[in-house]
Amino acid sequence: MNASDLPHFAPSNRLSYLLQYELIGRTVLRVQRWNDARKLAAYRPKADDPLTPPLRCVTRMKELMSRHYLEGRYAAGVRPVAWVTSGAPTEILKALDFFLIYPENHAALCGARRKAEALCIEAENAGYSRDVCSYGRTDIGAVLSGKTPVGRLPRPDLLLCCTNICQTVLYWYRTLADYFGVPLVVIDTPFLYGDAQPHQLAYVKRQLEDLVPVAERVAGRRFSEQRFAEVVRNARRGAELWLEIMDRSQHRPAPMTAFDGFIHMAPIVDLRGEAVTVDYYETMLAELDERVRQGIGAVRNERFRVLWDNLPIWFQISRLSKVLALRGVNVVASTYTYAWGELAPLIDESKGFESMANVYLHPILNRSAGHKLRTMQRMVKDFHINGVILHSDRSCKPYSLGQMDQRERLVSETGVPALLLEADHNDPRSYSDQQGEARLEAFIETMEAAA
Amino acid sequence: MSWLFTSLRGRIGDVMATPLTILSRKDALRRMREAGYRIAAVLPIHYPRALLRACGFHPVEVWGPARVDSRGGDLRFQAYTCAIVRNAVSLLSEGKLDPADVLLVPHTCDALQGMGSVLGDFVKPHQRVLTLYHPRSGGPAALGFLVDELRRLQQELSAHGGRQPTDAEWVEALRIEAEADAALAGLYRDRMRLPLTDREFYTLVRAREYLPPEEFAALASAVPHGERAQAPGVPLMLSGIVCEPMEVFDQINSVGGRIVADDLACGYRRVYPPVADGAPLERLARALLGAPPDPTRGSPIAERAAALTRRMRETGAKGLLVYDVKFCEPELFDLPRLRAHLAEAGFPMLHVEHELTPQTSQQALTRVEAFLETLQ
Repeated sequence: MNASDLPHFAPSNRLSYLLQYELIGRTVLRVQRWNDARKLAAYRPKADDPLTPPLRCVTRMKELMSRHYLEGRYAAGVRPVAWVTSGAPTEILKALDFFLIYPENHAALCGARRKAEALCIEAENAGYSRDVCSYGRTDIGAVLSGKTPVGRLPRPDLLLCCTNICQTVLYWYRTLADYFGVPLVVIDTPFLYGDAQPHQLAYVKRQLEDLVPVAERVAGRRFSEQRFAEVVRNARRGAELWLEIMDRSQHRPAPMTAFDGFIHMAPIVDLRGEAVTVDYYETMLAELDERVRQGIGAVRNERFRVLWDNLPIWFQISRLSKVLALRGVNVVASTYTYAWGELAPLIDESKGFESMANVYLHPILNRSAGHKLRTMQRMVKDFHINGVILHSDRSCKPYSLGQMDQRERLVSETGVPALLLEADHNDPRSYSDQQGEARLEAFIETMEAAA
Repeated sequence: MSWLFTSLRGRIGDVMATPLTILSRKDALRRMREAGYRIAAVLPIHYPRALLRACGFHPVEVWGPARVDSRGGDLRFQAYTCAIVRNAVSLLSEGKLDPADVLLVPHTCDALQGMGSVLGDFVKPHQRVLTLYHPRSGGPAALGFLVDELRRLQQELSAHGGRQPTDAEWVEALRIEAEADAALAGLYRDRMRLPLTDREFYTLVRAREYLPPEEFAALASAVPHGERAQAPGVPLMLSGIVCEPMEVFDQINSVGGRIVADDLACGYRRVYPPVADGAPLERLARALLGAPPDPTRGSPIAERAAALTRRMRETGAKGLLVYDVKFCEPELFDLPRLRAHLAEAGFPMLHVEHELTPQTSQQALTRVEAFLETLQ
């Protein structure tokens, strides 16, 4: 099967784009947000609800993400479209006005809406093993079937894959390139077993420079340094704000949970470098500060503060959030959400591609198992953590391999209990509710005993 | 007893007048030690042999052998980690890699990345853990980066007991390894004229994993060439990372198949092109980058499929048998598209998984047998 056999990737046209997206769609979504905001303002949780009401800004986030995917329905043929990995240097493409689809984020969205399993099965029916990443299977299932909770995905004109999160994306994007027959640019970021070396930085910088002419050719326009600097500024400010947002949970009680973070991180992933993302996170930060001032915690009775390692279990976010909150557990931080903010200090628009090479080499997933342990140990201290849940994610080997040693070191060196929770970020068939919750129960009892 | 010193002593070519004897690992290592070389245990797949040689190291490869108690690896890596990594860590934890002075873990995939990182950060074996990153971009930046990466490796080898090679040592190392590479390429080129069974052929090919290069070249050239009656069985191409245990070859023969070509990571994917010009590190980098298509190096799927199709036509293979180590993502991701491309060219494909255990699954053999029936 090739892209020509995939009718659901037919291009749109400018009229549909203007009418369905610009005019009608955006208006409908705005009205929907007002309605959602009104309902949320009137929402009164039950007395026994362990969670306080959601952040008000969630309605704005929902509008932003819905608008993004709505635009995606009509973008093909109107704007240049690139499918990119979550850690890709998208600032270059943004400067060329590409519309970006993040298949990982789309897969996560499918997972959170419990649509991923069916899409994984579509991919498995086409020959993809259950042993390959469930994000990849979800995405390929969506490509082959055309099924997606966002209506329709635009056909890519360019694929941009950065290996700073895993090698899986390399295999996955080679597959997409084979289906779609479009250029694939790989930004290869050598894994950092220790400190970054000059030749590694030079290699990444050179690849970024080489990306420009390819992207220009696909976009049919010239790269603008000025626009690029503006995008990088927004990316840095967005990441700084996101980091501040994460750090607000150092307060007791924490004004949000890591489960909230998993949801609210969508703009920093999908809309990085956009002014609207900066606006959004300024609003969110202000709301969190208000909560901190008023002493409002996300979990009513915050007894234990927990650190989450690895991707979330998307199809279990809501349930796990409640199950843990009922026992007074607030998952206040996660290495995963933190990763989208911790590199903010490295972003320097005055240093152009050199700064970008440095930033894109340094995500936590591109660094050693020892570095991740040190990050977690620091977070245990900074966030006043009582216990750590390490999600042993069958679908994410770079994040998961090393956890057995990390767990042991966390327990022996920081004195907090740590649980290895076997699951999968997107495939519910690799997780057992009963077993998972029994293990969480035992973990909570361990924290209680240590308290 | 060290694993490095115990496995694989083989006689091959029993149909020949004078069967060839392959030096055992134990004898090969002793010989290299006596010649003043230090030992490097090397994980899959690609690495610069001549660089190790020039720096005074003799490489012995560890492909997660099948006959290993994997408990040591299971204590550090989850069950969804491939057996090559778990078995290799088990060997290490049992002290069976103790004779090695350094461990070289090329960054081949996420699993080996995890292994290199965990060994360096947590296990901290007595051997120094060295790594090597292979570029995946395939673009113009790759060559320069790989040269720099090889230079870094050279410095680390020199800093950990190796020597700083002189020009003469470089010339000698490059020459000897080029001869061994040419000998390996020759074996593949002439395989249908060699009086070797499939198992014997791969015993010989895989002896390249530990033999001194001059010994391997001599052995390969000692196999007599001639017009050989075609062995019975349906001709197949074999793909995957590593095919173990070696009995699998006999078992494939016994159900009516014979291997006429391969796309194995421990086999043909390491038939490097000869590169005669340039500075030593650049020559090595060009050879590594010029290897046959390999998903772990990011080769486009269509390019890989075209290469396989061409070789299947040349060798008369009627189908592709993919014999994969379980949980190997780089291999698994390619399969559906590979199957589609090969089907367009008229070649069916069968995928069978294994876990690097001493026994081959009877179910897998039954599937191979059924596949062969469809090809007859």
